[in-house]
Amino acid sequence: MSSAFLWMALPIMVGAALLLYRRKDDTPLYLALGFSGILTWIAWQFPIDVVLQMGSVSFEISPTLVLLGRNFTLGETQRLLLTFMYAAQTFWLLGAFITRPGRLFPGLSLIVVGLFMAALSVQPFLYAALLLAAAVLVWVPLLVPAGQQPGRGVQRAIVFNLFAVPFILFTGWLLTGVEATPGNFSLVLRAGLLLALGFSFLLAVFPFHTWMPMLAQETHPYVIGFLMFFLPAVSSLFLLSLIERYVWLRENPAVFQLLMAAGSLGVLLGGLWASQQRQLGRMLAFASMLATGGLLQAIGLGDATGLHTFFALLLPQAWVLWALAACFAVLARHTPSLQLDELGPALRQHPLLAFTSVAGLFGLAGLPLLGPFAAHLSIWSGIGQRSVPLLVLSLLGSLGLLAAGLRLLHAWLGAPAPQPRQPQTEPQARGDFANPYIWAFFIIWGVTLLGYGLLPSFLAPVQRLVLMFPQLLQ
Amino acid sequence: MSDFTGTLVVLLLLITALYILVNRDWRWAIAALGLQYVWAFLLVLSSWPVELAIVKLVTGWIAASVLGLTRVNLPQTPPASGNVPSGVAFRLLAAGLVVLLVLGAAPRLADWSRAFGIYPAWGGLLLIGIGLLQIALRAGFFRSALGLLTLFAGFEILYAAVEASTLVTGLLAAVNLGIALVGSYLLAAPTLEAEE
Repeated sequence: MSSAFLWMALPIMVGAALLLYRRKDDTPLYLALGFSGILTWIAWQFPIDVVLQMGSVSFEISPTLVLLGRNFTLGETQRLLLTFMYAAQTFWLLGAFITRPGRLFPGLSLIVVGLFMAALSVQPFLYAALLLAAAVLVWVPLLVPAGQQPGRGVQRAIVFNLFAVPFILFTGWLLTGVEATPGNFSLVLRAGLLLALGFSFLLAVFPFHTWMPMLAQETHPYVIGFLMFFLPAVSSLFLLSLIERYVWLRENPAVFQLLMAAGSLGVLLGGLWASQQRQLGRMLAFASMLATGGLLQAIGLGDATGLHTFFALLLPQAWVLWALAACFAVLARHTPSLQLDELGPALRQHPLLAFTSVAGLFGLAGLPLLGPFAAHLSIWSGIGQRSVPLLVLSLLGSLGLLAAGLRLLHAWLGAPAPQPRQPQTEPQARGDFANPYIWAFFIIWGVTLLGYGLLPSFLAPVQRLVLMFPQLLQ
Repeated sequence: MSDFTGTLVVLLLLITALYILVNRDWRWAIAALGLQYVWAFLLVLSSWPVELAIVKLVTGWIAASVLGLTRVNLPQTPPASGNVPSGVAFRLLAAGLVVLLVLGAAPRLADWSRAFGIYPAWGGLLLIGIGLLQIALRAGFFRSALGLLTLFAGFEILYAAVEASTLVTGLLAAVNLGIALVGSYLLAAPTLEAEE
């Protein structure tokens, strides 16, 4: 069996099969969770391209799947990435028990993660743009559930994400010319321009970010949160693969300066706009924009430190974005709107979720002691050595997100205390303190975030992810 | 492809694309989209063998059918109007600018790349430009889907000259069908039964 079949084709098939389940119970969610957990465990435990002996049976996970004349390769160096992606998927599925993002979520999330893995494994990897576009299209039924009037955000999201495809595919053609004649400045410039435009659409870099807040306002926070975590994460890994592959990109300082400037702009605007939002969905969108900006800044550092920082940031950001999306989604179930003005009673009734949301925003902003802080510090230090104005922009962006967190804190603590009511029997209506699932979520999430912030070496083995990019590491 | 045939195909492509851009009746727009794929197929034929190029034609027709079948089952609504200038004259003027740009750009692109012939360069750029106009100037998911399909048809005419991978052909076909299916879903979503 090949790794690409196991982690790419099989999830797509299982996801498609789960969509056929018609009863309105949690069976697909349990099945998807179990399946995703098993794939995580296999990725964690079983080496790729090594013959394994289990009693009298021997088997091997081969690294390559050939499909229509092209290779899909997931080798041993990508095993940790597989573990990370499927562990993330498992946590998103776990969160679905309390957030209820829709009946299609288990099946579609498996299909989408399978497509993301296909994007990361296809050779030549520029074809990944098509698979990412397909993943966005597959996600639409969750963004606009049946019976709901679609808004302009979803239309813009589809259009902007599809626009990335022609740019990136044409770049692939130009790059072969650039490799043949690296001194041809005009060709390099054209390829670079197409590439920059393609990734700007894909990573929703300013000014192509507008679909995110529009869509976040229209749709379920957990559904949009899933897309806002996985899409930039996979796209930035795709970008890293591209830089790793082409010498003219890797050895051109202007590429890294551009990435750092684009990332800093994303951090600044994401943070400042987040501080101005009165709706939690939009706040999540701008926080995600800041997170993507941070990833671009880390890549822009351009050396081995930048690569280490990228992964040191990706992991805690994943943890925080998941929690933010989950908290906002649960709050959305208990309040008519996610407007800050109307959110007070729900926040009062769900103090654990309110606390997690505030801590999550503070964590993304880079507050000391919380998970992403160590990576933020490394980014600030690296940027400060290269460009003080960009450092100032980054710090302003982080301050903006801190202000957004403080606004949420004010909406929570400033709300009038809830009136004593008749005892209620429904667990959802009783608030956080009576809900063991919320308690478990709060404790595990908080301890992990604080633990990672206090002891960044806690996840040191994960730093082996950098081995996927040996050229950049040098 | 002879000069006469090439010029004729590009002109027909321009006429169908303009018709989709300006008309108000969705039935004729779908018919024009189907025709547009025939002319695009003829241009792709200059780069690809028939057995591969026919994939584009069949995919395009299926995409047009999916959109048409969904639209026919929806209640008639008055044409959507956004906050953008939407008069026929304005759209034609904007398309005229696109045509002028393409007339200048296509020969230079064909010269520079040496991969595209002049007719695929004209046809591809025209469809990309008019597809973009369609997305920008016409409100509603139906028109956006038509614009995206037009834009991708143009891109595929150009891309066929530089890439003949079966996998990419399959993936592009899947994306085209995805656009049509998602467009149909978004058109029908408000009328579907809510799950909870």
